[in-house]
Amino acid sequence: MSMLDRKLFRDFWKLRAQAFAIMLLVGSGVALFVMSASNYLMLVSMQALHYESERFGDVFAQVKRAPLPLANQIAALDDVAAIETRIAQNVRVNRDDSRFPVAGRIVSIPANDQPQLNRLRLMSGRWIDPARPNEVIVNTSYAEARAVQLGERIEVFLNGRRQVFTIVGTAMAPEFVFASRSGVPLPDNKNYVVIWAGTDAVAAAFDMKGAFNDLVIRLAPGASEARLIPEIDRIIEPYGGLGAYGRDIHPSHRFVEDEIAEQRVTSIIAPLIFLGIASFLLNIALTRLVGAQREQIATLKALGYPDMPIFWHYLKLATLITVCGIFIGAILGGWLGRVMVDLYRPFFRFPDWNYTFRPWLPLLAGMLAVMAAILGVFNAVRHVVMQPAAIAMKPEIPVAQGGTLLERLMSRIVTSPRQLMALRALAGRPFRSLLTVFGLSLSVPIVALGVFWWDALGAMIDINFGRINRSHADVVLNHAVSTRAIREIESLPGVRFAEGQRIVPVRFRAGHRTYRGSVQGLEPGSELLVPRDADLAPIALPAEGVLLSRRLAARLGLSVGEPLRIEILEGARPSREIAITGLVDDILGLTAYMEIGALNRLLREGASVNALLLSVDGRDSELLWRRLKDFPAIEAFTPRETMFAAFNETIAGMILVSAAFLAGFGVLIAVGLVYNAARIALQEHAWELAGLRILGLTRAEVSRILFAELAIMAAVALPLGMVLSRWLIVFLLNLRQNDSFQMPAVVTPFTLGTSVLIVLGAIIMSAASIRRQVDAIDR
Amino acid sequence: MRGKTVHDGLTGEAVFLARGLTKTYGTGDAAVHALRDVDLEILAGEFIVLLGPSGSGKSTLLNILGGLDAPTSGDARYRDHQLTGASEAELTLYRREHVGFVFQFYNLIPSLTVRENVQLVAEIAPKPMKPEEAVELVGLSHRLDHFPAQLSGGEQQRVAVARAIVKLPDILLCDEPTGALDYDTGRVVLAAIQKVNAELGTTTIVITHNSAISGMAHRVLRMRDGRIVETEANSRRLDAKELVW
Repeated sequence: MSMLDRKLFRDFWKLRAQAFAIMLLVGSGVALFVMSASNYLMLVSMQALHYESERFGDVFAQVKRAPLPLANQIAALDDVAAIETRIAQNVRVNRDDSRFPVAGRIVSIPANDQPQLNRLRLMSGRWIDPARPNEVIVNTSYAEARAVQLGERIEVFLNGRRQVFTIVGTAMAPEFVFASRSGVPLPDNKNYVVIWAGTDAVAAAFDMKGAFNDLVIRLAPGASEARLIPEIDRIIEPYGGLGAYGRDIHPSHRFVEDEIAEQRVTSIIAPLIFLGIASFLLNIALTRLVGAQREQIATLKALGYPDMPIFWHYLKLATLITVCGIFIGAILGGWLGRVMVDLYRPFFRFPDWNYTFRPWLPLLAGMLAVMAAILGVFNAVRHVVMQPAAIAMKPEIPVAQGGTLLERLMSRIVTSPRQLMALRALAGRPFRSLLTVFGLSLSVPIVALGVFWWDALGAMIDINFGRINRSHADVVLNHAVSTRAIREIESLPGVRFAEGQRIVPVRFRAGHRTYRGSVQGLEPGSELLVPRDADLAPIALPAEGVLLSRRLAARLGLSVGEPLRIEILEGARPSREIAITGLVDDILGLTAYMEIGALNRLLREGASVNALLLSVDGRDSELLWRRLKDFPAIEAFTPRETMFAAFNETIAGMILVSAAFLAGFGVLIAVGLVYNAARIALQEHAWELAGLRILGLTRAEVSRILFAELAIMAAVALPLGMVLSRWLIVFLLNLRQNDSFQMPAVVTPFTLGTSVLIVLGAIIMSAASIRRQVDAIDR
Repeated sequence: MRGKTVHDGLTGEAVFLARGLTKTYGTGDAAVHALRDVDLEILAGEFIVLLGPSGSGKSTLLNILGGLDAPTSGDARYRDHQLTGASEAELTLYRREHVGFVFQFYNLIPSLTVRENVQLVAEIAPKPMKPEEAVELVGLSHRLDHFPAQLSGGEQQRVAVARAIVKLPDILLCDEPTGALDYDTGRVVLAAIQKVNAELGTTTIVITHNSAISGMAHRVLRMRDGRIVETEANSRRLDAKELVW
């Protein structure tokens, strides 16, 4: 082994504490990236696999009632590869153990075999028996949420008639990865069930023999969805067709996509920011670590070593540290990725969880780190070898030629030599100091980027459930009824007052852009649902015209005052252009509001409602829930607590899984970074400090000089870090593309305070450990 | 320019030739004139002592001759190597092939042992002696596997001498080799340097502000204010052991 290599390993061993802190930095960045990206890629591939193996449709359509032979006409179209006709209806399920009615959807399946499209993945039990028309399969999410046993009975109201089925199996399906009632932005596994029953049984219950009302189509290779949809619409139009739509607006798919998109932010972008910061810090740390060997570099040069072997030597040292860090990161990330899978499992209903460690992920992350390391070494070594060896062998002059402005300014105020030492260390090489301060300040956002999610979710809850939707329970009726129903509900015990709503499925159209959603008709002056703008100021409902979600308006390329075409997908299906009178900043879903009377007129119907918002007196709520279960017209009702639970179990839960990891690694990186900055400061001053001890200064006094430097840096870095945190969080949230929910860019004093306190704690811990090193100097 | 010169029994060609060497650090009022118009000629195998007070320009002259620094103006060459105006790579090659350095503060690599510090230079030399032999020459064979931090100042400086001579350099440049050492230790180090000069015929330049050392030299150059103010040839050279200060 060459002497330089021997030096390499000895130096490495000597610097082990510092090297370990650097490895921690790199390792954390790599581990977080490997773990999150593996899981993200797994989610994407599981989704694709599930869709493919269960043959998820590409185009969907609902009709009122169409004869089965119509399917042949559609199947004959060039763009259609396969078609599946079904009967699907919303139903209500009664459970004695439930305080609320459970909403559901019954979907017909062939009694003897899997359907061609939108197949089921049987997770337990068996397929239904053709000879027993009362057998059904339910969705796994519900079965798990309600601890359903095979063989259990389920009481379903079909078309107002009560019917009892036996559950023989549980299944997952690509169309119900997230199952929720149409128009409800959040899935609620406990209070929503999917029931698959034999075609004959469902047809009999809904008087649909020889007919279907639900269509699933798979596109032929090379087919055009855009061309096919109008053709299908034309064919199904006479049968009450509600307009075919592609996968992009299929409710479950859209939610899955949005959740995965959200994971893209927390699993790819945020870890990449972390990795970028870690690499930057690695660069700074190595620059200073190598810079501290200035005299040795100069000696090697004086002894006749050319620049390249010297570069190589330090590059090997830096690469050794970096590669060890990457290795630690790869192992840790691979292992934590496996742990994370189990944490994700409750949120994503995919059948095949198949975690694979992808070696290219740590390699990719490692490349970034190694590049940062190489740059750092290059800078540090070049700085030394550029100077004549005779000069480089002497200690660096602490003050720039003539003194920097800052140094001259400060030295008028500070006169004690001890304070000057700290000051010169900083002001003498302002660029390096700024870089270190900047690096130190990045430790704040790296913690804040993990912590702020709690704030953002809290703000989402606060804005959505505290300011916009203020009802204690949302009631959905199975069809539109006269507004008399409001009075009827208000007469129930516990109801303070109720507000009627008319919710209709629509297709918004602006030029070539369309979006399928719904319009909510609200009572004028509604107190239980208050559309608001970004500053949370209420927006008055126009007598005519529509209030549109700002995000939806952006998606449709529209602004206030412009007309929006609304095609109603119900009843007589009128279509009309309505002016946008205002934009609302909503949190969940993409909404559109109209005055209920105006909507009733648009629908050419009398004053009617199909949903109610209730203000409930908490003391009587249990009694009220019991009474509501007896109303057959109520398809579902969702008390506030259920909405919270649904929110926590889906959006919040999923985000917090990754946020917890982000926060944990953020703290690790911050600690590694702070420790390094402090260690290097010590290393650079070790001789001076030892000298001061000999001159009779106490250990405390010597430490104080060192800490003064650290304190000055922290005093600049921490406030800067808070500004950077805000900026990075807003940047991160702006990268999100998500229809299902909006995340407000809220950075509270809690987030900033926590982050600063953690960094401060790391600084104090590092200072304490260095204090011990200082104590050891003179020994 | 090259020619045979005879000095006090030493016959050899002039290896170093410097004309009008000037070195200025800084500019304007802050300018420091380290060397002013220095002319110099040094013979092969010669033992030169550069004497002068601090700041007289000794180190600057040595650094320029050793290829560690470049003059502001003037001309310096070693045999067929032009030292002024040479590139970094050329100077590195020159140091590597011809020059051995002994620095005032030893500049040993702290993470390498005695043997390894010497080996470090032997590795990049074309025809080095064995590191152990070099260490033997400075009388430190019993310390081969010690780290610099385990050695006394004098021992460290002797390692530095061993490190400088292991590659059998043509020139040995020593910057205040005894500056940080006590009397006895200083003499041991000087003896080692003298031995190298005598036995290997290495052209040697030793910087010192201690005039007692000048007795060892063939020639003593006195410097003041960046100039060589006096040149003196010793009729009888003293052995390092005979030096008294």
